[in-house]
Amino acid sequence: MKKYKLFQLLFVVIIGLVPNLLMAQEAAEKPTLALSLKYFNDNNKTHHLEVQAKSKIDGKFQMIANVPVQFYIGTETDKANLIGKGVTNPKGIATVIIPATVKTQWLSTPNQTFIVVSTPTKMYEETKGELAITKAKLQIDTAEGRIINAKLLALVDTTWTPIAGVDVILGVKRLGGILNANETPTYSTDSSGAVMAEFKRDSLPGDNKGNLILTASVIDNDVYGNLSVEMVAPWGKYYPFDSKFDERTLFARRGHSPLWLEILAYAIIVGVWAIIIHLLLQLRKTIKLGVE
Amino acid sequence: MEKIAEQKIIDDLLPQKFGKQGVIWVISLLAVCALGAYAYFRQLYYGLEVTNLRDYVSWGIYISNFVFFVAISLVGSLITAVLRLSDVHWSTPLTRIAEIIAVSAIAFAGLIIIVDMGRPDRFYNLFTHGRLQSPIVWDVIVITTYLLISLLLLYFPLLPDLKIMIKNKERNGKYLQKLYEFLGSFWKDKPEQFKITDKAINILSITIIPVAFAIHTVTSWLFATTYRPGWDSTNFGAYFISGAFLVGSGAVLIAMYVFRTHYKLEKYITNDHFDKMGKIVVLLALIYLYFNVNEFLVPAFKMKKSEEHHLMGLFTGEFALAFWFAISTAMLIPILILIFKKGRTPKAAFVAGILVVVGSWFKRYLIVTPTLLHPFLPMSDVPENYKHYFPSWEEWAIAGGSLAGALLVVTFFARIFPIIPIHETITETNEHEKV
Repeated sequence: MKKYKLFQLLFVVIIGLVPNLLMAQEAAEKPTLALSLKYFNDNNKTHHLEVQAKSKIDGKFQMIANVPVQFYIGTETDKANLIGKGVTNPKGIATVIIPATVKTQWLSTPNQTFIVVSTPTKMYEETKGELAITKAKLQIDTAEGRIINAKLLALVDTTWTPIAGVDVILGVKRLGGILNANETPTYSTDSSGAVMAEFKRDSLPGDNKGNLILTASVIDNDVYGNLSVEMVAPWGKYYPFDSKFDERTLFARRGHSPLWLEILAYAIIVGVWAIIIHLLLQLRKTIKLGVE
Repeated sequence: MEKIAEQKIIDDLLPQKFGKQGVIWVISLLAVCALGAYAYFRQLYYGLEVTNLRDYVSWGIYISNFVFFVAISLVGSLITAVLRLSDVHWSTPLTRIAEIIAVSAIAFAGLIIIVDMGRPDRFYNLFTHGRLQSPIVWDVIVITTYLLISLLLLYFPLLPDLKIMIKNKERNGKYLQKLYEFLGSFWKDKPEQFKITDKAINILSITIIPVAFAIHTVTSWLFATTYRPGWDSTNFGAYFISGAFLVGSGAVLIAMYVFRTHYKLEKYITNDHFDKMGKIVVLLALIYLYFNVNEFLVPAFKMKKSEEHHLMGLFTGEFALAFWFAISTAMLIPILILIFKKGRTPKAAFVAGILVVVGSWFKRYLIVTPTLLHPFLPMSDVPENYKHYFPSWEEWAIAGGSLAGALLVVTFFARIFPIIPIHETITETNEHEKV
């Protein structure tokens, strides 16, 4: 009887708790997703957008992978404004090149707004990110005395106007990054939108004609986004590939070991085997002595 | 040594037929060899897949066994050459024991390398395409050279004994008599013959020392020339040679006891021999312990990140039990036994010898395997079983078969030839009497 009462009590407790637990689960808030949008103008030819999805997990911002996102130009309400779709990679990044299909929208105004919208997932609600930029372009040129000149122009109404006071990096492409042209990391554009730097890197390895790729770039500017432009200049040095293939080295193929090793090894082998052969001859002598 | 009449010495030392124990011993060894041969047949038929050798541990128990065999073979140069050149005469009864251990061990060292190859039919490529820069080629050269020198060092002192055996043909079977005649019928005890062989033995004794050092140094370089935690050491040559002398001497202690008790050779392998060999083993164990301290304590003091995994695996991790077992049985306990006079009695020394040999085998396993499990650049996405290694039954059977094979060579040698040099014993007894 006592046992029966105990089960009854347990049943009541479970029935009472289950709805509460379910409600608590429903009430648990999904973590917030933050979408950070960036604009890139590469060589004044291609334009692309990049979004990075982040969320605070265990008190730290972490990159969120596998988030489906759609990019729009102007507003997200009109499907014609869709630039493209993407899914964030393990670094939380998704990229889209602005295609020719949105050319009309792109040309309609000198100031553009880009919107990124994430599709709701089990973990995250739908989230929106926005970026407003002013169209701008960088120009790069060289002058005698290994000088790099660059100019920043922004589109004001329908005119490309020089912009002052923007930080520009002048450098050279090197090992997957940008090496500054000299010890100055950045230059601020003057009233004519221009910057100038003396190229002080000597004997940098170039291609087989000694060409280097010079670059001018604006990075993460609040108004103009990321702009970069590059040009080729014969300021490097050609280093022919020094093949060790047919040389005598410790790592070479058979028959191409270093001479010192061959002399040493063969001297030891010949020395020891000469002794062995001598001893075998002595054995033969012993046999002959016994037979005589 | 007691005064023993010449004929008595000959009677005592001529090879004896297997008794009941001997037959059981040989059958047991043959059974282990047969199992090893069957396992090797499976390996040849199915490929190295039957082993637990994978991309991480590609050497495993076979190469541990190879290092063990090469190590044990060095005792030939120690007892035969070093002691002979030092004019130490007490070791005369032990020279042939040491030399046959050396010959059988080095022969099986060569065989076990072939066993480790997935395609042994391509062995000739080592000669046709071998690079002089590779320590593996050096190893092939020195192993062959050492085997030949050891055979000569076994054969030259055997010549006068062959004559004695040919003379005592009533003790030999028909085939053994033919074998003795084939090997030594030309020996007539002529002074010129003695002069030539004495000189040859001296030359061999001098030659075998650098070759012996080379054989095990080159074996150590197979590891030390590879940039890996646990192998990247400038100390490896000396560390290997000291360990090799120790395990070889341990094996001689075992063989001394077995031959002494089985063939009733107490008059020839005396308590004094155990006492002296025991002292040598203590010295060698201390030297090897010193090298071990260098090899582990210095890297552990620095505890470089790359070495940490390997060292902690040995000290307290996956291999801790085997590591401390090897250190205790190969060095610490034998030192504690043999450092006292009572520990240098035949039975105690025999136990110490077994501990040294067993511990040393594990030591070689620990030199090879843990390092292979901890590469500097671990492979990505390898199956979990690649990261651990325990030999398959085929590997155990082949390794066991090779050990049994080496013991069979020693056993049959002792059955066919005198395990203690008869002529040298007679000569030394006569000289002793004159003094």
